[in-house]
Parts: sequence; structure tokens; C-alpha cells
Amino acid sequence: MITVTRPATLDEALSGLDGTGALPRAGGTDLTACLGSGVIGSAPVVDLSGVGELRGVDWLPDGSARVGALTGVGELAGDPGLADAYPALAAVARVLATPQVRDAATLGGNLLQRNRCWYLRNPAFDCFQTGGDSCPARSGDHLYGVVVDQGPCVAPHPSSLAVALLAHDATVLVAGAGSTQPEERPVADLYDGADPARDHVLAPGRVLVSVSLPVPVRGERSSHRRATGRSRSEWPLVEAVARLDCGVDGAGPVTRAAVAVGGVARTPLRLPGVESALVGALPGRALGPEAEDALADLASLCSPLPSTGYKVDLLRATVRDVLERALGVPRS
Amino acid sequence: MDHVTVNGARHPAPVDPETSTAEHVRDRLGLTGTKIACGGGVCGACTILVDGSPTVSCLLPSDRLAGRTVTTVEGLGGTHPVQYAFAAHDALQCGYCTPGFVVSASVFVDTWRADHGDTRPDRDTIAEALSGHLCRCGAYEGIFAAVAAACAGEFDSRPDREPPRRDAVDKVTGRARFSADLAPHGHWEGVIVRSTHAHARVRAVDPGAARTGDAPEDTAAASGTAPVFTDLLGEDRTVRYVGQPIAAVAAPTSAGARAAAAAVRVDYDPLPAVLDAEAARAPGAPVLYPTRAERAAAPSYGEAPTPPARWEGNLRGPGTLSWRGPTAVRRLRRAARASDPLLVSGEFTTASQAHNPLEPHVCVASWEPGGDLYLRVSTQAVAKTAERAAKHWGLPLDRVHVVSEYVGGGFGAKNALSADIVASVELARAARAPVRVAFDRAEELTDAGHRPAARTRVALLADRNGDLAAMSVDSRGEGGVSVGSSAAALAFMMYGRSPRRVRDFDVVTNLPPGMPMRGPGGPPMAWALEQAVDMMAHRLGEDPLALRARWDGNPKRRALYARAAKLDLWRDRPRGPRSGRFRHGVGVAAASWLYLLGPQARVELSVEDGSLVVRSSTQDIGTGIRTVLAGAVADRLGVPASDLRVEIGRSGPVHGTGSYGSRTTTSMGPAAVQAADRLRDALRERSPSVPAVGPVPEHAFKEALTAAEGVRVEGGRGLDRWGQLSPNMADDLALGRGLSGAVHVMEVEVDTLLGRVQPTRCWAGIAAGRVYAERLARNQCEGAVVQGVGYALFEERRHDPATGVTLTDNMEDYRIPGPGDVPETEVYFHEEGFEHVPGGGIGLGEVSVVGVAAALANAVHDATGWRPHELPVRPDRLIEGLR
Repeated sequence: MITVTRPATLDEALSGLDGTGALPRAGGTDLTACLGSGVIGSAPVVDLSGVGELRGVDWLPDGSARVGALTGVGELAGDPGLADAYPALAAVARVLATPQVRDAATLGGNLLQRNRCWYLRNPAFDCFQTGGDSCPARSGDHLYGVVVDQGPCVAPHPSSLAVALLAHDATVLVAGAGSTQPEERPVADLYDGADPARDHVLAPGRVLVSVSLPVPVRGERSSHRRATGRSRSEWPLVEAVARLDCGVDGAGPVTRAAVAVGGVARTPLRLPGVESALVGALPGRALGPEAEDALADLASLCSPLPSTGYKVDLLRATVRDVLERALGVPRS
Repeated sequence: MDHVTVNGARHPAPVDPETSTAEHVRDRLGLTGTKIACGGGVCGACTILVDGSPTVSCLLPSDRLAGRTVTTVEGLGGTHPVQYAFAAHDALQCGYCTPGFVVSASVFVDTWRADHGDTRPDRDTIAEALSGHLCRCGAYEGIFAAVAAACAGEFDSRPDREPPRRDAVDKVTGRARFSADLAPHGHWEGVIVRSTHAHARVRAVDPGAARTGDAPEDTAAASGTAPVFTDLLGEDRTVRYVGQPIAAVAAPTSAGARAAAAAVRVDYDPLPAVLDAEAARAPGAPVLYPTRAERAAAPSYGEAPTPPARWEGNLRGPGTLSWRGPTAVRRLRRAARASDPLLVSGEFTTASQAHNPLEPHVCVASWEPGGDLYLRVSTQAVAKTAERAAKHWGLPLDRVHVVSEYVGGGFGAKNALSADIVASVELARAARAPVRVAFDRAEELTDAGHRPAARTRVALLADRNGDLAAMSVDSRGEGGVSVGSSAAALAFMMYGRSPRRVRDFDVVTNLPPGMPMRGPGGPPMAWALEQAVDMMAHRLGEDPLALRARWDGNPKRRALYARAAKLDLWRDRPRGPRSGRFRHGVGVAAASWLYLLGPQARVELSVEDGSLVVRSSTQDIGTGIRTVLAGAVADRLGVPASDLRVEIGRSGPVHGTGSYGSRTTTSMGPAAVQAADRLRDALRERSPSVPAVGPVPEHAFKEALTAAEGVRVEGGRGLDRWGQLSPNMADDLALGRGLSGAVHVMEVEVDTLLGRVQPTRCWAGIAAGRVYAERLARNQCEGAVVQGVGYALFEERRHDPATGVTLTDNMEDYRIPGPGDVPETEVYFHEEGFEHVPGGGIGLGEVSVVGVAAALANAVHDATGWRPHELPVRPDRLIEGLR
């Protein structure tokens, strides 16, 4: 039987994970699935649920928030303070997975989960992530694969919260054992699209402690959208988050835009071209020519696989949808 | 020691991280109301409350329960308003997903009422709240109604009326014990070892640590707990698809069995494989069945015996039906050469759909000391399974006992001596202990049957009057290693008697075999034919309903067309080209189905301990035969159905009909009526106060039962007026006179930007004669719409093109519709036209699914001008189509 330890402090947890090969466990939803299907081999488990430092939402004097990694996805979705300050994050938390999974899953676990590739999760196949030296999806059936080809693996990054946090310019605090100081880094630096062997770059033994969000933007207009086949409870083909700063009353021209997308690449991506083209756009008005050009230009970002060409159109469409919703363009 | 509180009782907290909470509550605490279906957090069947919140218990490690409070469905006590409401609104069919729905809905209802008072939430709010649940039977209409009513405070006390479904209370409380819930004392777990090659000769199978029971020295070990092994391949040592059963092992624990399975070594001699239909037809392609004997032994997914046919390599067929066929072909060719505008033709493809019942295939087999064999199995046919088992193991029929009290869905997949049964029986013999073999979801979605993919070419020619002048349909079924396409043949019975030729082909590949699935051949046929008819209506500039009414000679369907034409849904549909991002459209499709019956159906009535017991060896897979039997007897005698006891789900009593082929109710219902009449006669002999006709007064009934203790009568399925069309064929199957009919009108909203189709409203007109149990029949037809929507939009089995491994072997990737994906559905029954049938009604389970996807396709075309030739209509296809 797998042994489980239940440290009460972060230090205990870190020393339990340091060089032991033990697996950290937050909500345990993905770990249970991965252990069950053999994606992850049996190993001792360090259960983090008792570690106080990983819990809670702290509001700092400047109005920004630091959210503990063990905060439940359901808590993120239901916390009125977070929804008010970071509406895009709350919107994403409200639609990912299912209500019952959101009840068990955590922020940290969501950011560091394994991807959903049906080859990775099928014990019949080896891939870069399970000791193999090739990607069977690239040469096989990759209907749900990436459209921005960053490296040998073609599985899109699975974390919707990462898309939202990328759009929020969030940072994460990562701790390791020993005397090393916890290190703060942008959420984007959790991932490396060129590395086919891992879905995040944290070294074994390191623990994601918390996520820090910047000072909220008053009057922010935001939107999140997933393109899916079914209406709900499905991994997105493409998803997008848009945050537009239109002044404190939310009615002025866009002064700053943040647009992030998921489902298209090994990592969540920001779309700087679209962001800069949006500056000056007016709420309630159709997208201007610069924004239209930037949307058209998303094709140049894409490098579709044989079966993912449709995601070029879907990427454009999803981004258009979040921009129009965030701007309040009347629905046709 | 840490504790967990479960339904108010304190238990030691579990410590094993590899046991999920779902496994813990089921296996350790015996709370089997919590179900495991997908095992991956997708379907919601395992939902429990942890500290009051609905939680996915299949992904929650059990060692996380320490100090927490758990409520399972059993803990709701059967008195929550949502439980009353689910039962009263018949918000369930097979009942396997029901406990999960009930647990989530209980929290939603309580929260809603606290926040909004006793008001009705709208459909979308309920869909959102229950978005973590899937129901394969498709009982969503009832679920919406039940949850809304419970929120409105309509079920705060036990309703006075009995629920429409007899076993509803057992299902909403988690009391109903399905075969997957049974774990007899001292049972072992069995695991099937499956082929990892798409095509190979199996040179040898090394059982590893398991004993085979063959060698004399094994006798000594037989009393021990060493794993046991059995071969499943038989004489043909060729495996032809990935996932084909090769052997099975059992051990006292699941972990032991899995380890024993991992230790089995199979020595393969790989053969070249063909993994798609095109490759199978290519010159020089490896041939799956090179010999006549192998071809004859190819499995069939047809519902009737497959007639012999010609083979050419991997292509079988055609099986041709023709009515002035040469005339039809000549006219079509001439029209094609002349580019006749009244010729429409097209090629339509359908993907392979998995049955995916939420209760997997499962069998617990045990050999009793006297040599009797017990099979506690999830099956659609207890009587037939007993016969098959008796034959297979050379036992007298009365030594085989099949029990299947509750069946968590089947849809055609649970009507065979399947690998779970064969393996568990053989392993139980070797182990000298009961052995359970349950498919996991990957097995269920890989090798438990499917509706094969098909490629269908249709050509229709209209003459100058707009009448159908010629029809041809060629359909090629792609059922992996199996054959049995009947899609084209089904088109033969549509649209009158104009010249026509329909041909069915099969192409075999190294992929898992199909099984008959609800209306086999029907949905792919309608997908092609009903779209072609729609094309013709456009070509002729005619209303698609009016064209069908003109072409279709069937009086029952004509009554449905007339009804449909008056619907607001149809009359007020948008006309002309639509623009903008969201576009609405309405489509229609017609369907026809055969009237099948089981002439051997019998029902026994006996008076036992002063009660009247209704018995037969039939089974209830969610369609509601328990309710039908009780209702038929109660109506005939004029006594309350609640006074009767219904005992089904066991072989042994009189022969009962299998639950497949739309024939259970039309066979069993009349048998129950006849039994009731005979019982009345028997009661009258003893109690003169029982009237010769009409309701039996309550006091007279009680008195008569007391006097008639021990009386036993049987009723059978009487003959139809003018007789049946076919004699009783093998497998208790006859073909009756007349066809059932259906017309579906579907409305969709198409999001042309993101490529998503949302069905919004559906009208399902069903003509199958008199309906026995109205609410249950309606539920079944509503569920057919759900399955048809799944077929049209989401469901498809996909496999790795290099190896043939099924990739959609989980419910995340095999996508069935959720509550938010289905249209608001109204079912209308046209009850005339089967007066020649005892009871006046025939089956509706299959006719109700056939045209759904086609109606949806026609609606998509109406909305967008783009016609989906391929199914499912995924976002990528829609986006490309509209580009």
C-alpha cells in the first residue's frame, strides 16, 4: 500500500518531498486518476491538505490578493471578494470541470495537473511523458491537439485557471526544501512548451505555495469563453480570457488590454498583437480595423497539425467572442 | 484514531490512498447506492456530499475522509423532496445514475429555496446545477420537471399518488441493488486479459502465477488462494482486434487479480492488420477471414440471423432488396446522364456509437455444491442467458439460475453470452468460489459493442409530378471484425412502392465488433435518406412535411405529419435565408420500424400468502416492464396495482421476453392480460362474489385470494388477428403485421461563430398503437431524443490509426449529452392502427430513436444552408462547412 504522510507545516512537507520521490497531493483528483491509469507510477504521497501556509486568501494593504495554492476551485468561484476584484479568474473557476470536481480540486492542483492527451492517459502507449521517445498523437489522432506547435508534444495545456492568471499577470510563489528562499515567478514561467516530458517545470520536491494577483483594475471589463462541443463540462477546444481597462467607470476607451488563450498550445499564451490593437477601442462599438487585422493575423501565430487546422478559425472566433463580450458589442 | 461520519454514523477513517472514497463507501460500508460508472469524475454517478457539498467520490482518495461528514443517497432517507419529485415525475429509467443526480439535486433544491423561496428555477439554471451528471437513458425531461417542482415546494411531503414507475422509490433511495452492487461473501475478482495486437496468432499463453485447474497437481492447490486462470480464445488462436479477450484470471482481491493478469504472458505472432475501411479494400490488403469457415463464424451485429452473402476480400455483400430494381437503376442512370434537376444524391457517413450503459457488463458466477450454476449478471435477457449458458456448459436448463434484478442500461449491448459471463463461470469453477467479472469503463467502451459506422449513398429521383420515381440506397457498414449491416434494407420500407434497389455491404477491419444497438441500422439509414428527402423538398420547392405526407403511404405516419404541420414549432419556423451569428432552424424526419414480438412470452399469476404475485423470467432494463405487468393485471382485474407483487429478473419461472427488439411490452402485456383473465376464472370457482367482468371489488378480491391460496395460472401471448407475418423464428422472435412510425420535428440554434449546435425544442410523434404505461413510454421516447442528439452532435468512437487501440475508452473523450445539451421535448402518441394486436400496442423503443439525428441535420441545414453529410456535427466540421 502507498504510504501517506500528512505534514502540518510547509517545512515538513518540503522535507518529506525532498529527494524522496514522493508525490505531493493537493485535492487528489488528478493524482487519483493518474495513479489509477498508470500515468504516474506508485510512490509515497505527501498530503498537503493540512499545511496551513497553503490555505486561505490574504488581502494585502494595496488591495491585491495572495491566494493559497490549496484554495478550492469552488472557493475561487464562490468568493465574492475575488469575483469583484478578479472577475475573469472567477468566471473561469465557475465553468471548469464539473461542480463536483470543483468541490474537490484546488488552485495549485489545477495549475500543475497533467494534460488530457488520450495517448498519455492510455496505458497502451508510451510517450515523452511516460518514458517513451516519441509522440504517438503527433503521428496519430490529434483532433484535440495544439495549433501552435511549440515542441515535440502536441497536447494543449489543460489548466484553464492558468489562462486566467496569465491574463491577470499573476505570479506564483514556489518553495523548496532547505535554506533556499521561496521564489516568486510569473505564472507563465511555470510552463515550457518545448519540454515534451512535463506539463510544468517545477522540479521534484518543489511546492507551489500561493498565487499573487496584482492590484485589481477598477471598472475592468472582462470575459471568458470556451469553445466546446457540448454546452458544459467539457475540456475546451479553445478558450480565451480578455481583460480590458476602460477607466474606473468602465466606459472609456481601452487603455490596456490583456488577452490570453488556452487549448491551442502546450502552454497558455498571451496575444500581444491583439492586446495592442485594442488600445483605443470603445465599449459598445464593433471592433475596429486594427483589432480586425490583429484577429486575422492570429493565423500567423498558428502552425496547425494535420487535424487541427480548424483551431485557427476557432482561435480567432473565440478571441473575437471574448473581445466583443468584454466590450459589450451588441449581439447579432 | 480518526473517524469519518457517514450518514450520521461514526466509522474509523480509511487510510488507503489508493482506494477511492466511492470504493470505500461501496465495498467497505456496503452503501451501494453510490455508483461507479465512468471512474473519471465525468458522469457524476458517484456523487456524495462531503461536509454538505456534492463531491466526486471516485476521484477523492479515501484517506482524505478523516474528520469529515459524508452523506450518501442512503443518508437522504428517502424523504427529501427531490426524491419524492424524482419518483413522481419519473426522472429516471434504469436508475443507475439516479442516486448521483438525487444527491446533487438535493443540495441545489435546498440552496435554491433558501435563496429564492419556493419558486421554479428555469431550465438553464437546473442544467448548470446538474452539469456534472450524465444520464445515458436520457431521462432529462423528467429530471428538469422534478427539480423545478421540488424547488417550488410541491414535494414537501410524501405524495398521495404512487409514482408512475413501480421501482422508482428503490431507485431514488439507492436501495435498488444492481448486479454491479453484488459482492457475495468470499467472492473472487476476475480480470480479462485482452489482446494488445490488432491482428496476431497467439502462439502460447503463459498463465504466470495462476493455476489452470487442468493439471492433476492443481487439485491440491485448489483449496488455496492462488490465482486461477482460464483461456478464452478457444480453438481459433487468432486475435483480430486490440481488446479481444484472450484469457482471464481471478484472485481473492482486485489487486491480486490485477497483478495476476499482469503476470500472464501472451506470445504473439503478429499479422498484418487493416484499421480502416479504405485500407481493407485496397488491393493486396490482408484478409481478415480467408476461409469460408472463418467467414461463417464472423460475429454479427444484426438483430436477426445474418443471411449468407458473397465475400470479396474484406468486403461482404451485397444483400439486396429490390422492387423493380432494374427500372430504378435505369431511371437513376438516365437522370444522372441528363443532369436531371429532380435527381438528388449524396453520400452520408455516420460514426460508430457506443452503447455505453452506465452499469458496465458484470457477472458474478458461482457453482453451488449440487452442481447448479448461478449467474448474477447485468443482462437484457435472463431467460435467453440461462438457455445459452445451459447449452454452452452442457447443463440441464433447470440447473442454471440467472438473476438480474436491476439492469443499469443495455441498449442492445447486454444480450449475449459475453466475456464477463464466460470468464466468471470458468474462473468460478477453477477457484471453487464465486467470481465477479466487471468491465471497467475502458473495456466497456472498447469491446462491449457499438453501433457500427456506416457510409451510405442515396439517390432519389422525382418525376414531373413530384412523385418518387426511383430510389437507390447503398450502405456499407464498418463494424470492425463483425458484419450485419441492415441500414439500406430499412430504407426499403420507406416511401411507398416506387421502383427501388437497396444494397447492404460490410467491410471488415481489425477493430472491435459491433452489437445490435437500439434500432440497428435505422439511424444511419435515416441520416442519409431523410436528408435526401429534405434535399428533394428544396429541389421541388415544397414544404418538407408536405412532401413526406405525399410520398408516404403509411396512414399512421400521415396522421403524424398532419399533427406536426399544425405545431407552432413548425408553422412559426423561420423562413428564408438567415444571417447573423446565432441562427435558428427547424428540421423534420420520419422513421419506420418493424413490429416484432416474442410469441413465447408467458406470465404466471399465483396466490401466495394471500397476495397476488406476478412472475415471469423477463427483466427491466429501465423501460418499465415491472410497471407494465402490474398495470396490465391490475387494469384487467380492476384492483390497485400496489396490491400486486411483481417478481421478475430471474430465470426459472415461465418464459419471459428479452428486453430488445422493441418487443417486450407488446409480448408480455397481452400475456399478463390473459393470465389475469384466467385468474379471474380460477377465483370465481372459489368465490362467487368475483364478477365475470369489470372491476373486482376490494373485499371480494381479498376474500377470493384467501380462498384461492396456492392457485397458479399462466397466460401467454395470444395471436394477432390475421396472424403474424413470420412464424416464430429462433430466439423467440416473430414479425407482425404493420410498421410503427415516428416523425421528429427538431429546432436548433446554431452558433456560427464557435461552431456549436444547440438543440432547443423537439416534437416526437410516435405511432406504435396503444401505449401501456404513458409516462414511462414518454420517458423512453424523450430518452431516444437525447441519444439521437448525442449521435448527431457528439458521440464517436475513435481509434489510433497505427495500432487500432480505442482512444475514446473513457467518458471524457466518449461524449454523451448532458442536461444542457438536449432540447425541450414534447412526445405525442398516435395510438391507432394496431387494433389487430392483442392489447393494441407494439414496441416504441427503437422507432423513437431512428429519425432524431436526421431531423437535427435538416434543422442545421435550415438554419445555415449547409448540409452536414458527416456525423457527428462537431464544431470543426460546422466551422469548415460554413467557411
